Amino acid sequence: MMPIWTKSGEKHAVTLLKVQDCHVLRYVPKEESGGKRAKLFVGGKNASPFYKSESAMEIFKEAGVPRKQKVTTFNVTDDAIIKPGTPLYAAHFRPGQFVDVTAKTIGKGFQGVMKRWGFKGQPASHGQTKTHRRPGAISTNKASKVYRGKKMPGKMGNIYRTSFGLKVWRINTKHNIIYVNGSVPGHTNCLVKVKDTKLPSYKDCNKNPPFPTFFADGDEKLPEDLYDEEMFQFTDPSVTYA
Amino acid sequence: RVHSDGKPEKFQPPPKPVIIDKQRQREERRFLSPEFIPPRGRTDPLKFYIERRDMIQRRKVFNIPEFYVGHVLAVTTAEPYASEKASRFVGICIQRGGKGLGATFVLRNVIENQGVEIRYELYNPRIQVIEVLKLEKRLDDNLMYLRDALPEYSTFDTSMKPVSRLDNEEIPVNKLQVQMKPKPWSKRWERPKYNIKGIKFELPEKKMKEAQKWSQPWLEFDMLREYDTSKIEEKIWKEVSEELKK
Repeated sequence: MMPIWTKSGEKHAVTLLKVQDCHVLRYVPKEESGGKRAKLFVGGKNASPFYKSESAMEIFKEAGVPRKQKVTTFNVTDDAIIKPGTPLYAAHFRPGQFVDVTAKTIGKGFQGVMKRWGFKGQPASHGQTKTHRRPGAISTNKASKVYRGKKMPGKMGNIYRTSFGLKVWRINTKHNIIYVNGSVPGHTNCLVKVKDTKLPSYKDCNKNPPFPTFFADGDEKLPEDLYDEEMFQFTDPSVTYA
Repeated sequence: RVHSDGKPEKFQPPPKPVIIDKQRQREERRFLSPEFIPPRGRTDPLKFYIERRDMIQRRKVFNIPEFYVGHVLAVTTAEPYASEKASRFVGICIQRGGKGLGATFVLRNVIENQGVEIRYELYNPRIQVIEVLKLEKRLDDNLMYLRDALPEYSTFDTSMKPVSRLDNEEIPVNKLQVQMKPKPWSKRWERPKYNIKGIKFELPEKKMKEAQKWSQPWLEFDMLREYDTSKIEEKIWKEVSEELKK
């Protein structure tokens, strides 16, 4: 995570996400997939092919791509279908876009009710016998049962969570890095899924995105760094309020 | 020459001239700002490389002078709500913290009997000028104890003129022992964990011995805590100096 300054001198914290060897693996048309849209399987970081069975390696062999650490699905409209085997780059996103980031949260193991659900516990002194971090009452007398989903101690973390509506400030095309506003779930160097926002307030923010994706062997030659309009670039002189 | 005896003196050759090559001396002194050194952790070194590129970019446009804890600095920042849109603050640098682009330093001064500490970010684009008014290192890395010292040690004149200094080798170390206000202090500075050498403790011997009870002499030999930065520093120094010369 890094600080970033705007042209008006405000500071924002930014997370760096690296797009590491992403390829499209398979296209599943609308009829075969059980939903309303076609699906595209996309694979992430490269990994060793020797630790998986032959049947699992079939998808990668069809696409002609080394084995990937993580495979995710994206629901896609018919005009955004990409041929399996195309690499995906960070330039697929542009500065000024808004993005949702999904990842597995840091696993905390088996945790008590105070850390897991934020319960207040009991006082440390004034006569409490062996009760300082316990949940207290779990149901009423009339219910005479414990409701499903009652907040109780258990394994915390290591589940998929999403942060919505994160602004993209900067894109580095050489190293394939996306600078995303705010924090992102997961530990450092964990695998993360980046999608366009589902929030309705940012519907009009993607003005001219590269559609269906950014092709590296195409005609477009992008500069090494793409900045958002409001972001302060370090090549400019210091900010003044004249 | 002839002695009073009349015998000629044995020929003594003149002493060899000592050539001080000032250019070589200047190059020998290397200063790498502490925020360039990456902290220990499992982060990808690519992140530090990219951050360093940004830091070098900023240094090319805006000069960040070499300074240590104990220097007296004057910082001019652009403020949107100040008259003349710029505010100048003079103070002694108490602490340098943070790594990478978020590196900060704290300046302390006593203005009209009120102690004021301001934390500035080195790479904040709102900073217009950083001037080094007085160069002197102190005995410690962290001068937070000035909060509990007598206010005369933290007062510096706002209209102080920069002390002129040639491009010499060493920065003078001020071995000043500071006198403290009566206890209670904000932290127990006599305890060995702070390792402060710049205070003139006027506490009775009994208290000083009792403070040594909290010493942890095994920490010095703990191998897992070792973080040898010499090789990393050399690499980064080469990279940074080459980029800045361009």
